[in-house]
Parts: sequence; C-alpha cells; structure tokens
Amino acid sequence: MATFLPQFQSIKSSFAHIVLSVEDVSDLWPTIKKGFEERLPFKRASLNNKTRNPVLVDELPAEFILTTDARLRSRFPQEQSLFWFREPYATIVLVTCEDLDEFKNILKPRLKLIVQNDDREWFIVYVSKAPAHNDQATKMAKKVFAKLEVDFSSKKRERCCKLDIHGPDPNFWDDLEGKIMECIRNTLDRRILFYEEEIRKLSEQRFMPVWNFCNFFILKGNYSGDKPCDCFWDTSESLAFMFEVAHLHEDALREYDELELCYLETGKQRDFGGMEKGDDQATLLDSGKKALAQIVQDDSFREFEFRQYLFSCQAKLLFKLKRPFEVASRGYSFIISFSGALALHESMLPFCMREVWVITACLALIGATASNYEDGLAAPDVEKEFYRVQGELHTLCHTKFMRLGHLVGYGSDIERSPVNRNDMLGNVDKRKVFCQENLSQSVDHHKEFYIFLHSAITLVFPCSASLSMLPWPKPAVWPPLPPDASSEVLAKEKMILQESPRLKHFGIQRKPLPLEPSVLLREANRRRASLSAGNMSDLFDGRPSCPAWQTELLNNTRGCILLLLISCVWDMHAYNCIKMENFLDSSQTSVSDSSGTPSAVQRVSNVSMSRTLSSPGNFDGSIDRPMRLAEIFVAAEHALRNTISDAELWKSLSSVEEFEKKYLDLSKGAANNYHRSWWKRHGVVLDGEIAAVHHKHENYDLAANLYEKVCALYAGEGWENLLAEVLPNLAECQKILSDQAGYLSSCVKLLSLDKGLFLPKERQAFQSEVVRLAHSEMEHPVPLDVSSLITFSSNQGPPLELCDGDPGTLTVALWSGFPDDITLESLSVMLTATNSNDEGAKAIKSSEAIVLMPGRNNITVSLPPQKPGSYVLGALTGQIGQLRFRSHSFSKGGPADTDDFMSFEKPTRPVLKVARPRSLVDLAAAVSSALLMNETQWVGIIVKPINYSLKGAVLHIDTGPGLSIAEKHEIEIEKHEFGANNTDHSDNPPDNHSPVSADVKQLSLEDGKINLPDWTSNITSVLWIPLKAISHGLAEGTPAGTVSQRQSIVDGLRTIALRLDFGVSHNQTFEKTVAVHFTDPFYVTTRVADKCSDGTLLLQVILQSQVKASLTVSDAWLDLQDGFAHTGKGDGRPVSKFFPLIVSSKSRAGILFSICVVDTPAKDGEELDPISVLNIRYTISGDRNLGAHSPVTKELTGPENETDPLTFRSALVLQRPVLDPCFAVGFLPLPSNGLRVGQLVTMKWRVERLKDSGKDVDSDDVDEVLYEVNVNSENWMVAGRKRGYTSLSTKQGSIIVISILCLPLVAGYVRPPQLGLPDVDKANISCNPPGPHLVCVLPPAFSSSYCVPAA
Amino acid sequence: MASTACFMIVSKNDIPIYEAEVGTVPKKEDAAHQHQFILHAALDIVQDTAWNTSAMFLKSIDRFNDLVVSVYVTAGHILSFVMSD
Repeated sequence: MATFLPQFQSIKSSFAHIVLSVEDVSDLWPTIKKGFEERLPFKRASLNNKTRNPVLVDELPAEFILTTDARLRSRFPQEQSLFWFREPYATIVLVTCEDLDEFKNILKPRLKLIVQNDDREWFIVYVSKAPAHNDQATKMAKKVFAKLEVDFSSKKRERCCKLDIHGPDPNFWDDLEGKIMECIRNTLDRRILFYEEEIRKLSEQRFMPVWNFCNFFILKGNYSGDKPCDCFWDTSESLAFMFEVAHLHEDALREYDELELCYLETGKQRDFGGMEKGDDQATLLDSGKKALAQIVQDDSFREFEFRQYLFSCQAKLLFKLKRPFEVASRGYSFIISFSGALALHESMLPFCMREVWVITACLALIGATASNYEDGLAAPDVEKEFYRVQGELHTLCHTKFMRLGHLVGYGSDIERSPVNRNDMLGNVDKRKVFCQENLSQSVDHHKEFYIFLHSAITLVFPCSASLSMLPWPKPAVWPPLPPDASSEVLAKEKMILQESPRLKHFGIQRKPLPLEPSVLLREANRRRASLSAGNMSDLFDGRPSCPAWQTELLNNTRGCILLLLISCVWDMHAYNCIKMENFLDSSQTSVSDSSGTPSAVQRVSNVSMSRTLSSPGNFDGSIDRPMRLAEIFVAAEHALRNTISDAELWKSLSSVEEFEKKYLDLSKGAANNYHRSWWKRHGVVLDGEIAAVHHKHENYDLAANLYEKVCALYAGEGWENLLAEVLPNLAECQKILSDQAGYLSSCVKLLSLDKGLFLPKERQAFQSEVVRLAHSEMEHPVPLDVSSLITFSSNQGPPLELCDGDPGTLTVALWSGFPDDITLESLSVMLTATNSNDEGAKAIKSSEAIVLMPGRNNITVSLPPQKPGSYVLGALTGQIGQLRFRSHSFSKGGPADTDDFMSFEKPTRPVLKVARPRSLVDLAAAVSSALLMNETQWVGIIVKPINYSLKGAVLHIDTGPGLSIAEKHEIEIEKHEFGANNTDHSDNPPDNHSPVSADVKQLSLEDGKINLPDWTSNITSVLWIPLKAISHGLAEGTPAGTVSQRQSIVDGLRTIALRLDFGVSHNQTFEKTVAVHFTDPFYVTTRVADKCSDGTLLLQVILQSQVKASLTVSDAWLDLQDGFAHTGKGDGRPVSKFFPLIVSSKSRAGILFSICVVDTPAKDGEELDPISVLNIRYTISGDRNLGAHSPVTKELTGPENETDPLTFRSALVLQRPVLDPCFAVGFLPLPSNGLRVGQLVTMKWRVERLKDSGKDVDSDDVDEVLYEVNVNSENWMVAGRKRGYTSLSTKQGSIIVISILCLPLVAGYVRPPQLGLPDVDKANISCNPPGPHLVCVLPPAFSSSYCVPAA
Repeated sequence: MASTACFMIVSKNDIPIYEAEVGTVPKKEDAAHQHQFILHAALDIVQDTAWNTSAMFLKSIDRFNDLVVSVYVTAGHILSFVMSD
C-alpha cells in the first residue's frame, strides 16, 4: 500500500492552486507572460459545485505552466485519475502567423495535432505582432485570425481570441478570462463526474455482504496495485482536495465529512495506533504532523491517526470558511468521542495516554479557535455558544489535568470544594446539543448528514458517562515503582505528612464532598494485584479502621519515628484484617468503584492508613507487595514522564507551583469563557475555585472578590447549602483584610442561613463575632443590613386604630435569628404612610435597651400622635453597640403565614390606622322645653361619647349673661337612657326618675370644671347643673288678640359655653355653646268680658301655661292701678274661688275679676300708678327630664315641702273705656264698572252724626265739620279741594255725603283716598265698616283721540 | 435495591423552594449539599435547552457520576428536578 500516499501528501502540501498549461507554439510566452500573470489570481470566478449549482469564488489562485515544464511532463498517465486535481484545467495555445500560406501549410496541421486530445479544454490565443501604423501587416493578421476562427471555432463555442501586442484591445483580457473560466468550469465538471462515478462504484461494493477490503483489492486490483481503501480514500480525498483547490470549501468539507462517516462505518480497525512516541500530543489540528504512509496498517488506516487527520482537514476548511466556532464545537465533540475510543484501548496505550491526549487536544483546539475567532464574527447566540464550548474545553482540560495532578500527589493542593468538580457536570448529551445546534445552524449543510453522524457517534460511544465519571486510569498494569526511587518516595512521604487539613474559619468542621471517583490507593493496588497473587487483591482500601488511640496519637504527633513504630504494629494487624475481609471487599469493590462516592469516614481513614504505611524501610519494590500511596505517586510520575512528550505539559506537572499555575490558568480560562457565554453559574462556580487557590496562597484580596461573586450567585438564587460552603471562606478573607462592613455582613448572612446548616456552636461563634465587632472601636461605624436575620411583623389581628391626634402604643413582633440572646441598645420602627407619597417614613423609637431572645419577641413602642391615614411597617433600625443595623424584611415566621411559604414578599398589611378627624363626643341640652325663669333649675347636658372613651375627661362650664350656677348645690350626673321618659311612666317612675337613684352621682364644681367619672367614659350620660336664669323685668300681660309672645321667647334664651377636655392625654377638646330656654310659668292676657250697665267691668285674666309641667295655682290677686277699683270685697281676689286651680302643660285657664272705673284725683307730687299687677301663687310639679320643674332649693327641702308656692307677678295695663263715637264715616261703594287709569271717578263718603254734639242743641243749628282727604299724590290726582269745611246739623242722625272727584294715575291695587276729620278725636269716630284697604285700578283704555268709532 | 433520589422544585427565579430526599438510601450528612450542587449546575443546561425544545419534560439533561438529572419545566418556568441513580 501507500504507493501514492507520500506523493499525494507532497502534492497536497505543495499544490494550492489551479494549473493552466500554456502550449507555446510560436515562442511567444516570454513576451506576453507578464501580461498574463498580472491577471492572477482570478477575481470573481464562477464555478459549479458538486450539485451543479453555480458558486461564485471571490478569488481563485492559478498558475500558468508551459507544457514543456518538467512538472507536467514527468507524470504517468495512470496517476492521472488519482491526482487529476493537479492536472491543467485549461490549455492555452499561443500562436502567431503573418502569412496565410504559412498558416495553411505549417501552423494549421500542427494546431490540429495539439488540440485533437478531447480530454483537455483548450483555446487559441492569436498574437498579432503587426504595428498599428503598418496597415498591410495588420490586414494580413486579420486575415490569418479570420481563417483561424473559421478552422477552430464552432458555433457553439468560441475558441479563438486575438492579442495585439502593440495595442491590445481592452476587451481582450476579459475575453481571455472568460475563456479560461469556461475551460476550468468544464474541466472541473468533468472531473467531478469522474470522481463521483468512481466513488459510487466503490461505495456500492463496500455495502455488499461479502465485501471486504481484500476482495475489493482483488477486484479493483487494476488500480495500479494500490489497496482499495486507499483508492476509495484517495478518490474521495482527491475530490475533496480538488474542491479545496478550486476554493469550493463547502463542498470540500462535505466530502471530508462523508469520508469520516465512511471510515467509521467500516468498523473496528485492527490496529488502533497511538503507541508511537509523541502520539500523546494531539494532532487534531495538524494534518502534516505524521505522513499518511506511516498510519497505514494492513488494509486500512489506523484509527488513532486517521481520525485526527480527517478532523484536521475539516478544521482547516472551517477556518478557511471563517467558522472557528464550528471548529470548537465539532472539536469538543470529537475530543469526547475520541476520548471514549481511547478508553476502549486504554489497556494497550501508555499510562494516562488518554488524559494527556485530551489535555493537549483541548489546548490545541482552544488556541487555534481563539486565535481564529474575532468578536462579532458570528451572530450573538452563536458567539455565546462558542464561548460556552471554549469554557467546556477549558474545564475538560482542567479536569484531566487535575487527574494527573492527583496521580503524582498534588491532590492535597487542590481545594476540595464542590466547585472544582463542576467540570464533571454537563457533559452528558453534549453530543446531542452539538447536533441540535448544527442542525439549526447549518443553513447550507445537509441535515441528514448530521443526523447520520450523530447516530454514528452514538453507536461507537453509547454513553459519554465514562467521561463524566472520570475514573482513574485503567492501565493493564499499574506502573511499578522504578528502582532507585526511594529518595523520591521519601520526599512524597514527607509531603503527605506535612499535609494538614485546613480548618475553616469559625472552627467550622466539614467533611469534604464525596466528589472524587474513588480512592487512588485502592485503585492502583487493585490493578497491580489482579496480575499477582489472587488473595492479595483489593488490598488496603482502608476498610480496617485504625484504632481510636492510634488515630489520636496520629493527630497529635507528627514524628516519623513514632509513626514508624505504629506502622510496624499496624502492618501486622492490617494484614490479618485484610485476609478476613477479602471476600467482603471483593464484592463491594465494584459498588464503590461505580458510585465513586465513598463516605468521608472512609476517606479519612484512608489518609491515616496511608500514613501508617509510609515507612521508608518497608519498601522493596516487589510486585506482590501492595504499594503505598507515596509509592503510587512516584510510580505514576515516572510513568507519566514516559508518556508525556510535551515539555510544556511536563513542566506543569514537575512541581506543585507549576501545577498550580497551570491549574489556575485553566480555571480562569474556563471561568472567563463561561462568563462570556450564558452559563454564568459554571463561570461563577469556577471563580470560587480560583478564589480557593488565592485564599490558600493568602491573596485575600483577590480571593474575597471572587468569593463575593460566588456568594452573590448562591445567595441571589437562594441555594443556602452551597452558600454555607463558601461564605465562611469569604468571611475569613474579609476579616483578614479588615473589611469590617463586609465581615459583619457575612457573619449576619451566615447567621441567617438555615439553622440546620451549622452547628449551634458555630452559629454562636458567628454571633459572638458580630457582638465583638459591634462593641469594639470601629474606625468607621458601619451600617448593617440584618434583613435576613431580624425580621418583624405586626401582631396578628386588626391594625391599631387611633383617632386623630391620639398617641398610642404599638406592638411589633420581632423574630431574632441569633442563636443567643442579643442586646439591642435602641430600636426604631419606621412607619410609612400608605396614602401619601411625599411624606417620608417616620421613625418610632423605643428608648430603652431591648434583649432579643431567639425566636419571637414582642416589642412595644409608644406612638406619638400621627397624621390621619393608614400606616405600614417600613423598616426596623437599631443599634447593637456601635453598629447601626437595619432590617427591611417582613417576617416569614409568623404562624398564620406558614401556608404562604411561596411568597417571600408578604403584602404589607396596615399596622396602624389613624382616623380622619371626626366628632368624638357630643354635648347637647337634655331638655328642649323651657325652664322656669328666676328659679334654680336643673339644666341637663347630655355628654355623648361617639365611639371614644372619655376617660379622665374634664368639662369646663361657662355660663353666659343672665345665668348663674347655684354653687351651693352639687352637680349630678346620671346615665342617659333614650326613650326613658316615655316608657318609664307606666313602669317604675319612682325608681327611674328619683334624683337619688343609684345611677345618680354627685359631682362638685371646681373653678368652673367638672371631672367626669370613669364610669361615664363609654356611655352617654346626663350632667345636671343647677342654674338660675335671672330676669329683672316684670312679665307683661297683654290684651287679648295681640301677639307679642315672640319677644318673651328671645328674652328667655340663655347660653352655656361648654368645653370638654378628653382623650388619652387630654389632647382632644370639644367646645360647644348650648342654648337653654327659660320662661315665666304663665303668659297672661286680659280682656273685658262684660261691661255691666252699672259700670262694673268683668276683667277676664287668661293664664296660658308655658312649661311642660303641671302648675297648680293656689291663689291669685290683682293689685289695680289708679283709676280702677275692685268691686265687691275689695281684696283683689277673683270673683269666684276655684283654687287650687290646676293648669296642665300648654293649657289655659281664666280668672275673672270684677272691677270698676273710678276717678282718682291726682295727688300733688305723686304719680299715678300706671300698671296693675297680677299676683299668682302657684306650685309646679314637673320632671327635669321633660322641662320645668320645682326649683332646686325646693327639692332639697324634701317632698313634704313640695307644695310651697311660688309667686308669679305679671303687669297688666288697664285702660279706661273709650267706646264713645260721635261720628260714623262710611265709604260709599265705587261704580261697578271699575276704576281705570285716566278715568275720573267720584269717591263718596257718608258722614253721620251719631249723637248730639253735647252743646246746646238748636233744631236747625248747623256745625262746621272740617274734613280732609289723605291721598297719595303719586297714585291719585284729586280734582277739587282736599280739605275744607262742610256743614252738618248738630242733631243726632244728620248725614252728609262728601264727594271728591279723583283720577287714578297708576294701574293696580292702590290705596284709595281716605277721609279724615281732623278736628274730631279718633276715639269719637267710628269707621264701621272701614273703607276698603285697596282698590283695583285697571290700565288705561285705548286712546280715544285717535280711534274713531266705526259707527 | 437502595437508591438515591432527590426531588426539588425551583422557582422561575432559580430559587429552590422545595427539596426532598426520596430515595431509600439514608441521607448522608454531606450528600444533600452535593445534590444541591449538582442541581444548581444543571440550571445552566436547563436554561440552555428549555428554550430550544417544545418538550416540557427534559430527560437526562445532566449527569453526575451515576446520578441522572431530569427536569420537568412548566409553562411558567417552574422547574421540577428529579435526580436519581
């Protein structure tokens, strides 16, 4: 085999362009070469791809080679089919001729000979040497060219073009390029057809059941002795390469993909490969690393090299296509699958070959893709995916590198955190992801191909779990310890002994996560022992545990000598134990191995076990004796040295420092790439790993920064278990960096984590740190958010409701997450009004120090008066020592809220409601009816609290003018009962209305103030105040028929100004002025009932009761004014005695007095008494709840004195009789047609003398009577005399009629003129009937001046 | 046969809201936190794949040693993880 392989590879490496041959018939090439080569490379070439679709190639490199060139001449025809891609794609025949005869005789036959080979694409370039000015030569050249065209061009195809050396046609070059392209296109099409046909034939045969490489070889032996797979491969790759040369990269890539599939389908190759020196370095991006001839094995290629070779070809094409992201994703997938393939052959390969190969492959891929990738090259989501794959490559490399580190004993230098096993995750189904992505991305890719590829990969590597589990290497034999390694073993022993488990800050003791796949000691010895004596297998997996006393001793002493002693004893003990447990062990090994998670207890004992066995003197290098851990490290190191050929990689494993450096590089690379992708969690988690290394190296600043990122992620997403792992580390860094704020915050966060995550002792340590810092001298007092630790809520139940202006007491429930009691120096609760946005929260401070117990605490704070509105708890602030803390979170711990665990943010419930200002109390007069004037009366004031307690209320009483408090008397208070007045009449009036009932309490007035008793605080009560209204005037009686009572009502009104101070701290005030009506008991009217003929007048006095009480008149007498006298007995008493006369409420009674008129001569210097006075002695029987009642003083004297009469005096004015008319004046009726403006009307009055004038009456004596017409001149015009004398007989009954002509001036109801007799006293004129008050005057008629009647 | 299984509900803000060890193997002290760790890292992958598929049950999206993580994604993006061996 492989005759042509080296040749092919050399051609591949040297041929990167298309060849165009030049047949220089007339030795013209040196002259025109320059012009031709200037056209290279061709721009915008149009070629056909495999599916015959035109593809535009931007730049097509090519080379012109003379047919006489050695490169073309030396080829054998049989090679052509395989290496056809390097054959010329076009033949350009260069000719010149200036003579027709010469053309016909010499040139034409020669040309015919040249072009007769149909395989080649050709065309002729005729070069004219004729100078432009030589017309003859030019003409000849044209003739020759025309002849040439006739002979060689056809209708279908132009094969000739003309180049004028002395003045080339500008179109010539385009024409030339067009012809070259046509040739190339045709050649390419033909060759593609040929290759396809070849491949099809070979493929068909490959799928036949009897097909094998040998048969194929025999059948197709004519392929110049080459072997079939090569033929196939050569053909395919030749095609692929041809595409590549033609810059049809997509097609080339597709060919390579198909080639890979075909290769994988051929099944298992006999020899895997990978055994040669330097094979540990991946060549997946370097196709020329190894000659193809070297990787041929029997009838096929070795898988190890060939698959890498194929991938490198694909990668090269993808880079050319500017798709580095695809290289990365394909590469990652390739590494995974190839790693699986390596695992299958692990027993054959050098020790850890697989790990080393993966590391180098990842590094190569990372380097190549990153250098070929520029930001913005792809769409954002592709870019993110690219970075994710880069991250994956880094972590894969990182994992494998760590595995090597473990093998050589650097395991203790790797932080065992959950973090650094992250890379094991997410590997499963990456193939699927890859395929899905490619399916979605490959717009111009064959989807079927990827599906096919996917299924192929799945078939070969059914599960990538083998990688995710990351087992220890499984060589056929674990490398033995080389001789002369005792010093190295000692060094490793020492290293192991110096290991000390790092104690976490706060004294936290945690077992490491069970993340390692298995125990190396056990694994290494198992591999070795399987080849040695059977009963020694599975030795020393640490199962027999070390006795406690020895462990104790181990922990306390580190002396090697002592360890030696112990190990000697222990060796014997262990040996016996192992023998006994051999059976058990062999059955459990597989379980432990597969799970890969031995308990931490086991691991701890492993370490101690390995230590005890680390006795330098015991070592003899025998294969039968189980190796100790240090020996395993040394043996692995030696074996790795043989495996690893890359000096850089070996350097990274040569020392702990270098190892850590590389480890950090890889971690950082992974983290950075994950951050740039959408796998932020992976990135942050790797940051934690980097932080752990910085932490270990005391780069606390860097460590803290990174830890903060990790903690922020875990805290933000609420993964508390994970946070609990990392947060103590952050706290430690912050403490060392003196970042007090950060440290306190971390401590608080630690405390607020789930209680189960830390031991009580540890939590107490956190608290003591907080308290210590709070009470220490802090340079800068730090505010601290303890929202997660101290939560609060309002107490259950309705919110506290306060009236406007009232202070209150607010109870808040606080949940303390501190493990112990903690003293708060102060505590403030912020109240936020829900209805107003402009107003900030108000802090309500609790002044005294508070000790918070773990769990729920009830805190009471006093609340000053707040503005009306609804308030919610805003935040909690306070001080612990010098630490100002603040909490924003509502408690989740309330018992009623536990069912609401889904919501973290509880809807804010109002904790306080301050009502809008409203009337809290009302004061009103208890009685609306009138009370007795000038007597001490109980004035009831109803004090009515309106849903508000009047506890401690004080009432200020200020009486207005004409009213005074009878201070001798106590003030009474009783419960007010609505409707009691009406209902209690029939039931138990004495009980309910007795002033000494049980409900009545006596109060005293001090400085005009009354303190209301507490029992009245919530009930409506009546306050009875003894008041006396004083009126100095005498009541006036009025003649019957006149109404003047209104005046007396206004006179009887008195006011009491009341002010009530109440509220929790007398902060509320209510003021009201209450009007009370006082009146006399009677309203007196008089009339003369009868006038007897003897001059006796019967005077009727009518008494109208004005109070709601029963009045009993016991006596009445009248003190008459001068001019009147009593008839009869003269004692002033009424005519008949019906006393006692009872006048019930609102009723009237009358008393008759018999009087007569007497003439009383006026005495000198003495004025006549102008008024009469009516005296009434009466008693009153009333209820203070209804109105007027017995005066207070009377009540106090007791019931027996109830009849003590009161005296009521009323003035009466009596007038002498005046009914003595002399004249009667009557208004005569007006005309019936009515009055009209402008129409004269005669007003008539009749004046009749009613009695004789009293003078000496003569029979015909006539008296002159003065009359006068009073008229409003605006309404009436009087035609005639308004005033004058008229004569009237002095005899009784004489009559005259006075007529006055008047003219109404105004329409409407107007007062008519009045006739008066000025000389006669009004008392002597009787106007019965009186004249009309108003007369109706119609509007004026239509003007007659202008309207002539029709008649 | 003893099995390890862990069930966890994660809210749409990636906050674990319910966790239960439902396997027959007694819970180890350190295992719970390991489970959380595995499931937390799987969130990245869930986020990745959940939007690329119409399926609500994402079977075996991740794996750690012999523990397989599957997740049911509700329409509201509440994740129900099941991890079992």
